[in-house]
Amino acid sequence: MHSECMTTGLVAAGLVKTYQGTRALDGFTLTVAPGEIVGLTGRNGAGKTTFVEVVTGLVRPDAGQVRICGVDALARPRAARALIGVSPQELALYPAATVAEHLRLFGALAGLRRAALRQAAADIAEQMQLTDVLAKPTGLLSGGQRKRTQAATAMITQRPLLLLDEPTVGADPDSRSSLLAVVKARAEAGAAVLYTTHYLPELAELGARTVIADKGRILDAA
Amino acid sequence: MRLDLSGRGAALARHNTMLMLREPGPVISRLVQPLVLITLMRPLYLTAMHGSGGTIQVVTGMLVMFSLLALSIVGAGIFAERGWRTWDRLRATPARTTELLIGKAAPALALLIAQQAVVLGFGAAVFGLRVPDPWLLALAVGAWALALLSLGATLGAVARSQSELNVAYDIGGILLSAMGGALVPLAELPRWAHAIAPFSPGYWAMSALRGALTGQVAGTLRASAVLAAIALAAGALATWRVSRGWSRSRLM
Repeated sequence: MHSECMTTGLVAAGLVKTYQGTRALDGFTLTVAPGEIVGLTGRNGAGKTTFVEVVTGLVRPDAGQVRICGVDALARPRAARALIGVSPQELALYPAATVAEHLRLFGALAGLRRAALRQAAADIAEQMQLTDVLAKPTGLLSGGQRKRTQAATAMITQRPLLLLDEPTVGADPDSRSSLLAVVKARAEAGAAVLYTTHYLPELAELGARTVIADKGRILDAA
Repeated sequence: MRLDLSGRGAALARHNTMLMLREPGPVISRLVQPLVLITLMRPLYLTAMHGSGGTIQVVTGMLVMFSLLALSIVGAGIFAERGWRTWDRLRATPARTTELLIGKAAPALALLIAQQAVVLGFGAAVFGLRVPDPWLLALAVGAWALALLSLGATLGAVARSQSELNVAYDIGGILLSAMGGALVPLAELPRWAHAIAPFSPGYWAMSALRGALTGQVAGTLRASAVLAAIALAAGALATWRVSRGWSRSRLM
């Protein structure tokens, strides 16, 4: 793990992003320390997903800065992405590819090879209760299984920063429990976790520091 | 900059090959259709063209038309990634954009070359099509495959809907084939058609392939160079568009 990841996780300051006159981010500032789970909540359109997209380098902000383990994510987006595991808000899976094929692909893209890749895929499948459906195409899975598959692709390697954007929407209680247990374990192992959700009880279950976003700004921290 | 082709690029190429082969219908269709039409149409072309030029015309003409129609396979691959939202998921990984593009393009390029090889091989094996210079023909096939790949990727990247994409492929494929002299030899078309023919990539493909099969080195090189230029221009546009992605915020 990057040496600075022991002391600094995610530091985002003064982020501004405007789309066609609409300010999606308006001075968005947020810090997530190693081992901490930050629960980011707020109404639809508050800027949560735009923030996640900025941190992952999919969207470039008009102003502000993002550092991950001390790495400037705007100047060195690829180096920053190597430190992130991300599960986007909406499902992003190949319907014809199996769960195992997804895990192998995203594990390989994360830099795992051969035996290490096989072991990591088997481990995360077990943790996310996906072992029984490894050979099934994701197009044939239930909503909860798809959500767990997507989260598993984000967590197949031990990344210092986890970005989970509403990972339990549409998931059944079992899927939710297994996912929350893995997220907690990752934070206990030292990962900085940003978890966006509308379900406040989940944040309580995770023991997360709750942060409320509105109109592209952080309103309050509890 | 070092590309990790043994790892990420290879994993993506394997993955995209698997996706293509999981739904083989379009691939089989674009491989079999030209063979059937060549067999059925060859007598007509031989009669109309009074000799062996008919075999070259029917083989290259059907090759160009069905390879243009095979653009739909390339474009659908890009368009599907947009619909599934997987392209932005891939962009959020440590993989370089070039690795993502190579991983996506390599299986499609292999398919486009294989399609041409099957058609030309069929022409040679069944109808005695002569290949005076295999390397010259390989150059023409390669240049045409690259142009097709770039054009297909561009359409897949800029189309707003699947139906828009289908219209572009179906009408565009037939139109560009006809304009380029793939269906009816250019010499038999009216004067105005001669004037607009060079605006069709199909024209340059026909020139390159026919030139290679008749041993015209200079003509083949010139047409292949034009195809390479088309590949570069369309490839640059497709690369620019896919590198921006389709994240939700981009659509606001």
